[in-house]
Amino acid sequence: MKKYVLLIPCLAFLIAFFIVPIFGMFVESIYQREKGWVAQRYLDFFKQRLSRTVYFRSLWMSLLVTLVALLIGYPAAMAVISVKSDSLRSLLMTLLVFPLMTNPVARTFSWLAVLGREGLINNLLLSLKILDSPVRLLYTRGAVFVGLLQLFLPLMIISLTSALENLPKDVPLAARSLGASSFKLFTKIYLPLTSEGIVTGSTLVFTGCITAYVTPAVLGGSRVLMLSTLLYQKASVTLDWTMATVIAMIMFLSTIAVNFLSRAFSTVGVRRWRKTSG
Amino acid sequence: MKKLAVALLALLAVFALGAQKLYVSTWGFNLDLLDKNISKPFLEKYGIQIERELGNNSVRLSKLISQKDNPVIDVVHFADYFAMLAVKNGLLQPIDVTKLSNYQDIYDFAKDPVGGNYGVGYTVYSLGIVYRTDKIKRPITSWKDFWSKDVAGHISLPDITTTQGPVLMMHLNKIFADNAYDPELKAAFQKVAELKKNIVTFYKTSSELINLFKMGEVWMAPVTRFSWGQFLETGLPLAWVVPEEGMLGFTNVVSIVKGAKNLDAAYKYIDFIISYEVQLAEAMDLVDSPVNVKVKVPPEIAEKLTYGEDHIKSLVFYNIGFIVDNYDKWINKWNEMIAQ
Repeated sequence: MKKYVLLIPCLAFLIAFFIVPIFGMFVESIYQREKGWVAQRYLDFFKQRLSRTVYFRSLWMSLLVTLVALLIGYPAAMAVISVKSDSLRSLLMTLLVFPLMTNPVARTFSWLAVLGREGLINNLLLSLKILDSPVRLLYTRGAVFVGLLQLFLPLMIISLTSALENLPKDVPLAARSLGASSFKLFTKIYLPLTSEGIVTGSTLVFTGCITAYVTPAVLGGSRVLMLSTLLYQKASVTLDWTMATVIAMIMFLSTIAVNFLSRAFSTVGVRRWRKTSG
Repeated sequence: MKKLAVALLALLAVFALGAQKLYVSTWGFNLDLLDKNISKPFLEKYGIQIERELGNNSVRLSKLISQKDNPVIDVVHFADYFAMLAVKNGLLQPIDVTKLSNYQDIYDFAKDPVGGNYGVGYTVYSLGIVYRTDKIKRPITSWKDFWSKDVAGHISLPDITTTQGPVLMMHLNKIFADNAYDPELKAAFQKVAELKKNIVTFYKTSSELINLFKMGEVWMAPVTRFSWGQFLETGLPLAWVVPEEGMLGFTNVVSIVKGAKNLDAAYKYIDFIISYEVQLAEAMDLVDSPVNVKVKVPPEIAEKLTYGEDHIKSLVFYNIGFIVDNYDKWINKWNEMIAQ
């Protein structure tokens, strides 16, 4: 009982400032004074070709960033964990957290200097004679992808390192001594035992990507319209709050769905691990 | 201790009741200069304290809508388009212009920009063309120059979601199809679609555009006059062009909220900010270009303002109400064209 008492402040805060507003928003998005309860607005959204394009672009971009962050982040986290010296490891951890301490707006703007026509990459490729005229890197999907990846990769690595730190040190040793190959060690030991970290990291990165506003606005511009920039347009330019609410709900529900799916996958993985190793 | 508390309360009461207050909703720019040029002299002259509520157009309009039944704000500053939206939402009341002693001193275009006397224009700005004279060797003279090959890949246009975007589209429709008031803006959309691949990006703010000029991405773009001073500060070789088809003119207006509680003070405020003294002070500090025709400024100030007979004469104004009626459709069409 006592441990639930400790939850009360946090719970009260979440109910007042998260659950109630979200519920209110949801009701507003499916209730029309004249027609009663309808899903009409959601249908209206998906009926438009542009909205569908924007929705799937946002979803695909966020999934891709999450996947690549996982592929890059996992080896990085393993490398950090394998460092023996405590001081060196904590230095590495600080370096990992460091980008999170700089303002995301500043980080996004610095990409302008890198990706511009007279930016770092174009200048380098031009001086190496790989290109003979500058290519457009800014205001493309690639630019948004790189910006988001740099923004959220640290979250993935941090989640994975804490998962790997919790992994009992003798389990991989035992597997090795029983003759497991490196591949087996990874798929049978590391992956299932760090699945919680993978799910947490992926959720953080995915949610961050799909809700990010500055990065698609600055690096993508009008050409790479995403859900968040479309929401801003509806809420702030045309004052179409109903549609803005619908978009916000679609973003929220998509995030919940992805989180649910990745959690389901990881439990299946863990169960299979228990079965084969039990 | 009790005595001290009573004394403090009395002091508070004096502060609270002493000066009448006027609640003004406006942008959060140049606040110290607004205090110097408006708040302080207004308090000295009328004994009325100005309380400002700050935010961009859409946030402040949203607040007015939510306070519709019991407004807190007396006077509101808006870009002409948002003033029009406020009128459509029934948030403003017509101004009795006969109560304004300085009204006959302002330009005709500023007298009733929204229609129905729902707002008085207190500042004006132009949208002209700015280009890099070192990169583009020939003189730029026309809005049509955006379609010439030598600037392809180095130009930017305002996004349709900016205040200037839809008006520029109407102007382009006028230029290419001789009709600014086509609800479909067919010619303008067709011409901009042709141009799409040559455009670096469609800018949303003037600071974004200044950045694009600084980075060498953009050589030529439509630029608002109020940001021209910042463009000059970049040190780049730039020229301001008054295109042969005219520059676009925009006003910011000041309006009285329907149900305003301090009506008398509101009229005093509006009359005050279009007065010679305030308009001159604001112009000299480069806060706002004057609409009061009596204001004269030296050349080094004039070149950073929307000012001077020729400059003002070249301004083209369109009916903002036409944008309000068609804006949703245009934004959808724009999204389809640009973001697919």
